[in-house]
Amino acid sequence: MLHATTLILSLILFSAAVIIVLVARPTIMATRGGKILAFVAMFCLPIFCGLLGVSREMGRSKSTAFCLSCHTMEDYGKSLYVDDPTHLPAAHFQNHRVPPDEACYSCHTSYAMFGGLKVKLYGLKHVAIYYLGTPPAPENIKLYEPYNNRECLHCHLGAKSFEEGATHNADPATLPAIKSNQLSCISSGCHDMAHDLAHLKDAKFWKAGT
Amino acid sequence: MLTVNQLDKRRQVAGIFIVLGLVIEALCLIWSTPIAFVIFVAIGGFLMFAGIVLFLYSLVSNLKAAV
Repeated sequence: MLHATTLILSLILFSAAVIIVLVARPTIMATRGGKILAFVAMFCLPIFCGLLGVSREMGRSKSTAFCLSCHTMEDYGKSLYVDDPTHLPAAHFQNHRVPPDEACYSCHTSYAMFGGLKVKLYGLKHVAIYYLGTPPAPENIKLYEPYNNRECLHCHLGAKSFEEGATHNADPATLPAIKSNQLSCISSGCHDMAHDLAHLKDAKFWKAGT
Repeated sequence: MLTVNQLDKRRQVAGIFIVLGLVIEALCLIWSTPIAFVIFVAIGGFLMFAGIVLFLYSLVSNLKAAV
């Protein structure tokens, strides 16, 4: 990823250098070749650089480090290291059930049409609140909508552990209710331990790599 | 008809806008924070867009003047 950034930066520097030469010596643009060069340098290259930059920034905004760079999210980041297999986000993060470098995005995106765009707009709203408004205390942060099972089923649907799990099949009505989002995966008594910030200070933490 | 100086001036201003937009984009790519993304889109994007539009306008206005 660093390599991609370096390539984009090189292209940006090259474009800027060509434009600076054209600005410093406008007589170059008087010739036919100069006009073509000016069109490429002042129209094609900036658009290309802009698109590459947007694509790179969009990719980076999915990263766990990006989400946790806001102070408000610090405790949510810590909760990924809780050493408790019933703690849903921690178990997913630590066992690589989601890519660890895109852990927040993997579970908090919307796997629907334009879902990615929708969460990016939410993200911009978060940035606006963080810098221009009063961010809520971490424990008061709530989801915009109730968590949709679709996000879980994006990975778990069809998986043996989900389809043939004893609890999921104890009642024949349970599995269809989960699949139709009638019964939430994070219902009380099911997988309800998500980012338990209230008990974070008493929690035992997993130290990665030890 | 536009004089060469007027035309050059417009292109120079367009060039400066685009370079500033590119510099902001480069800085935001290095400085990886959520606010950098907003600055890149809002300020960098605006400067590049303004520069490109001004450059295209200089081309069109020159074409009109020639006709």
